[in-house]
Amino acid sequence: MFNQSRRHWMQTCGMGFGGLALANMLQDPAKAEGSGGAMQTHFPGRAKHIIHVFLNGGVSQVDTFDPKPELTRLAGQMLPFENLQTERKTGVALPSPFKFEKHGQSGIEVSDIFPHLSKCVDEMTVIRSMHAELPSHEMSLMLMNTGDQRLVRPSLGSWLTWGMGSINENLPAFIALCPGGMPVGGAGNWRSAFLPGAYQGTRIDTSNADPTRLIDFLQNKRLSNAEQSKQFAFLQQLNAQHQADRPGEAAIESRIKSFELAFRMQTEASDAFDISQEPEHIQKMYGEGPQNRQLLMARRLVERGVRFVQTWHGDMQPWDSHSNIKDEHRRVASQCDSGLAALITDLKQRGLLDETLILCTGEFGRTPSVEMGQDGSGASQGRDHNHWGFSLWMAGGGIRKGMVYGATDDFGFKAVENPVSSHDLHATILHLMGYDHQRMTYRYAGRDFRLTDVHGEVVHPIIEG
Amino acid sequence: MSRFSAYLQARAALCLLLWFVVSVNASAQVDFNRQVRPILAEHCLQCHGPDGEKRSADLRLDVEADAKKSSIVAGSPDDSELMHRISSTDPDTVMPPKETGKILTEPQKEILKQWIQEGAKYSSHWAFLPIANSDDLLKSLPSSNADSASVDRFLMQKLEQASLTYSKPVSRAQFIRRATFDLTGLPPTWAEVEAFENDTAAGSEERLIDRLLASPRYGERWGRHWLDIARYADTHGGAAIGFTSFPFSYTYRDYVINAFNNDLPIDRFVKEQIAADQLGLPDGDPALAALGFLTVGMQFRNYHDTIDDQIDVVTRGLMGLTVTCARCHDHKFDPIPTADYYALYAAIAPSKSPPELPAIGAVTDEQARQQYERELADLKSKVQQFAREQNEVLRNRLRMQVGLYLAEIAKGIGEQDLSTQFLSYRTDDIRPLVFNRWRTWLAGMSKEDPVFGPWLEMQSWGSIPEAEFQTRRDEYLGRLSAELDAIGRTPDKLHALRGEPLKWNLFVVDALIEQKPNSLSAVAAVYGKVFADQQRTWLQALLESSSEAAAGGTVLPDDHPQHQVINSPSHRQIRHHLYADGSPFDLSDEDAIRLTNRTIADLASGKKGAIHQLNLASPGSPPRAMIVTEDPLPKPTHIFLRGNPLARGEVVEARFLTALPGDHSKTYESGQRRLGLAQSLVAENNPLTARVLVNWAWQNHFGMGLVRTPDDFGTRGQAPTHPELLDYLADQLRKNGWSLKWLHRQIMLSQAYHQGAVENEQSRQLDPENLLLWRMPRRRLEFEAMRDAMLAASEELDVTMGGRPIDLNSSPAVPRRSVYGFVNRDVIANLMSTFDTANPNACTARRQETTVPQQTLFALNSDFIQDRAARLAVSTKEMNLASDAERIKVMVRKALGRNPNDSEIAQAGTFMTEATAYTTTPEGVATDPERGWVLLAHALLASNEFTFLD
Repeated sequence: MFNQSRRHWMQTCGMGFGGLALANMLQDPAKAEGSGGAMQTHFPGRAKHIIHVFLNGGVSQVDTFDPKPELTRLAGQMLPFENLQTERKTGVALPSPFKFEKHGQSGIEVSDIFPHLSKCVDEMTVIRSMHAELPSHEMSLMLMNTGDQRLVRPSLGSWLTWGMGSINENLPAFIALCPGGMPVGGAGNWRSAFLPGAYQGTRIDTSNADPTRLIDFLQNKRLSNAEQSKQFAFLQQLNAQHQADRPGEAAIESRIKSFELAFRMQTEASDAFDISQEPEHIQKMYGEGPQNRQLLMARRLVERGVRFVQTWHGDMQPWDSHSNIKDEHRRVASQCDSGLAALITDLKQRGLLDETLILCTGEFGRTPSVEMGQDGSGASQGRDHNHWGFSLWMAGGGIRKGMVYGATDDFGFKAVENPVSSHDLHATILHLMGYDHQRMTYRYAGRDFRLTDVHGEVVHPIIEG
Repeated sequence: MSRFSAYLQARAALCLLLWFVVSVNASAQVDFNRQVRPILAEHCLQCHGPDGEKRSADLRLDVEADAKKSSIVAGSPDDSELMHRISSTDPDTVMPPKETGKILTEPQKEILKQWIQEGAKYSSHWAFLPIANSDDLLKSLPSSNADSASVDRFLMQKLEQASLTYSKPVSRAQFIRRATFDLTGLPPTWAEVEAFENDTAAGSEERLIDRLLASPRYGERWGRHWLDIARYADTHGGAAIGFTSFPFSYTYRDYVINAFNNDLPIDRFVKEQIAADQLGLPDGDPALAALGFLTVGMQFRNYHDTIDDQIDVVTRGLMGLTVTCARCHDHKFDPIPTADYYALYAAIAPSKSPPELPAIGAVTDEQARQQYERELADLKSKVQQFAREQNEVLRNRLRMQVGLYLAEIAKGIGEQDLSTQFLSYRTDDIRPLVFNRWRTWLAGMSKEDPVFGPWLEMQSWGSIPEAEFQTRRDEYLGRLSAELDAIGRTPDKLHALRGEPLKWNLFVVDALIEQKPNSLSAVAAVYGKVFADQQRTWLQALLESSSEAAAGGTVLPDDHPQHQVINSPSHRQIRHHLYADGSPFDLSDEDAIRLTNRTIADLASGKKGAIHQLNLASPGSPPRAMIVTEDPLPKPTHIFLRGNPLARGEVVEARFLTALPGDHSKTYESGQRRLGLAQSLVAENNPLTARVLVNWAWQNHFGMGLVRTPDDFGTRGQAPTHPELLDYLADQLRKNGWSLKWLHRQIMLSQAYHQGAVENEQSRQLDPENLLLWRMPRRRLEFEAMRDAMLAASEELDVTMGGRPIDLNSSPAVPRRSVYGFVNRDVIANLMSTFDTANPNACTARRQETTVPQQTLFALNSDFIQDRAARLAVSTKEMNLASDAERIKVMVRKALGRNPNDSEIAQAGTFMTEATAYTTTPEGVATDPERGWVLLAHALLASNEFTFLD
């Protein structure tokens, strides 16, 4: 512990956005221990970055990656078993209004709401056997992001950035992009809880196209560049004189470094978010609209060394199609389809896909049975929340290519074959990043906490051999 | 290995050496508590410790007798299994096992070896031992420093042993700045600095400290420190969307600030925060707000989590014990069995917030008060009516769903956990609370019950083949029928107003005979139909009999045959189960409103939200104390096995922790359990609370405590660097009326507190962690002090005290002290997390301290700092000073509390000339000549000198 803290102090002294300068560390081992810092990986990781695409609201598995012909056969009839309990009453089988086709070498079936993304199936593993614990957005979001649906726990991104630190000190290590608002659960989705505040996700509203307005205090709105440069030089002169009388003070040194960084970041951080610097064909490939645009932003960030980027589809719960799933799901899918395909293609052509894990998921799935609206009929043609079974996909970062893992029952209601919990998912992600989830611990309030608490098994079959 | 890490290892070795210098006593024996226990705790106790369930090989190393039975032979390391195991190279036998990832270093093995060699003497964990007598402690010190302050005598003894000395003391200007920030969280004014520098008479420092302690700013500073412990926030936490504010959390914050200002004895302070409602205070006493300590925490969905959080704040916050580790299993490292956790649970769980909180202050605006009360009464009656009506709706629906619940019971489903309820939009979902009530209701019945007797009988058959069920059913129902025949079952008896009830209910028995159910589930359906039919006819009969009373109706005598449904004993037998007190349907309005369905629950919370809003924002809303009240007849508390509320273990009584001295058979009196707990916390024989509080105060003066793990005094925490000093101060604190202000004086008048924050390479070599306090640690202003100091420098600070929280992110800024800022635990403001403010979701005994560029970006670019700088520039202009040099001097005094030297003045002048050579802003607006002064003021406020204390 002692030596590790020292080593870490060396690595991070005067570090930037992503890391920590543990100011008083030389004076204080207790603090050093509590703040941890870069935890060396337990074994060589496959991935260095994660882009977590959160399709918040609940993606319907039977309308995207888990085709169920049995639903069509039983259209309008009750399922042969009692509908599982979800948030609202559901009725008869509702077949998917979308067409499924096999794609690529792997022949993975995808519905036609993802015409671009479906071309990339050979890069993906699709897990069809995810499950959560309750049909509640908020709790399932917390479960997916922090591994606990009730208690205040650090998010996956916070854990990873705490462990791995940042590659680019001029940018936050953990960034949450969300256009035009906040998902349900708000900042709880990217909170650091008992980990130091520096590991909390930095939230950026990507509906704002001006890259200089994305991070708090990144620009000075009152001073000209020339004025600020002069002032900065003067300030550091003051600081240097102050330091000269107080030699050997790590805390003072690190704040001086931090000023330098901050000053540089004013331009560099703006650049990272400025997708207008991309060539036109790249911008085109990703497509229009904030969802597509922020995926391009995610690529630029990862390219610059950001460890964990989460992209949220939008405010509240855009994928929550309680009614008219036919139009609703098609609409939201069309907002990100080209961007998702472009992200995979683009990372691959830059040689970044191998070291970047893309995870695309919602908090739960949707019922194969039609939701009974307020009038008690299924006229809404929508689907209720379904935590019993749902699908997600991953690509890059050591994930097997062109694989389908696990299965739901004949109707897509419940995960029955190789079920995967969020804890298993987290264990697998940590594994891909080089950590044994049982050994990645943080001591807080007398206990060694883990992202996976006492659960979680690495899903080895989905990892590239 | 890099050169740096080699250097560090060398340092580590030196550090170890130092330990031997300071910690090994004359006979050079290994000290169990300091040297051995931490090794055992970290590497062995997880599997060979207090947790009985996880114990391997039936070996316990934390208990001397157990350890010496099998694995330690005192005096003989070579014969001790423990030594064989830890020295083994065989992966199958080596301890700790490889998979634990725990590795014993060679020096650690050496310590264990030497300890066994010396007889493997155990001693109790230091923190659980009684506090030593302060007079005895003083007597044991060498007389060489007898003239020094007591605090220094303890510190100097260890420094001398290690050939170290204090650093040179700070200047008087530095001292007043340090002391003023320390006690008030604000810089001294220039006038105060000058006055202190000129006050050379004896006792000037005492006078300074007394003046600062008497300032109301003191309570604001130290109150904020306390609010970290109390995980203070102004919102509930856990909201899916947005947040919900506490309307009255501020009354707790203000209570805390006042308590510090009044130097409320800390034992009293603790007692009020745990049990103010049980101390005999008069109605409306502002001290009732102290209970916010329990109630301003996170509002969890699951009330067991809320109680857990309360146990945590009480034990970790006040005693430095991680008791909540024992919620699911015995504590792995400390002697805290699960039973102790639930004993505290039993002390806290019977207390709930009352529906209406007591007002603890008047509203001066009489008109506003009256309007508030009118609106409140109106809203309350609306809420009540809505709840009452919805309760009726729900009860009547549930009465139609008897079959649904019995079917569930027929499946053998057990009691439901109510703590993680999830309410759907459906009216036909099983309500877990109602289900549990059904189970209780049926459990209270015998097989002789006229209605449910047959159910219980058939349920008692268990799962048997259908054929056997049929045989036994026919036999059983035949017997009932015969018994009814014997009494006589004439139909006319059905409506007799004065008729006697029959032994068996006719409707039930006839339906069972007619429908011949083949399983308990089928029986449930039969009952379901009987009850639904009965409920329907009853509602119909009610309608008819009340219609008789309407205009134009025909009134019939009460015993008229048309009133048969109302009057007949057989009908009434059924209705007993639908309407009796305590029946499954006898729900409180409050429960009903939560259970009806999501739509109704949301509507109801909307109506309650209007009351909430009124309390929150109305100018006539009086301050209220966030109290709890205790149920005098609480249900027994069971241990929840593995933390599962449905897996009930043995019953535990409310009592204190067994690890601490005292009579553990003494349980807390029901109705006053929290008072009992409060008394235990500050009891003479509780060694922890006083030590933890002393350590907390010490940490806030020196940046680190004598125990550097302030919320873990357990075996895995760090032992005190100066145990005797800790005990001396703890004992003296109690003997001096638990006065915190007394403690401040002891600490601040010491030489230790006067020394400079100056690095010294030689001392650092000897004591790299500054464990012995050979210098003052460098301290940086926390968020609140930084913000307040900027407002003070620009002379904008508004020192209005108390009241509803202000928004710290507003622009223009509200220039009040930061302690009055709104703390949102749902949406933790970037500004707060960037500057490491306390995590408001759990007790924070010590803040993180990070340096990230977001902080310096704030200093470079925020509106806040630039607005303060602008104001500071204006305030110096308004003084019409003789020259620019004079103005620079005044500005530096205001910002940094000192005079600039000539070269600094010249630099500042040059800077302003150069900077203002650029005459336009980014927007192209020509600048005024004052712009340079603003830039200068901004640089001063952003500088390290402003942020770091000497």
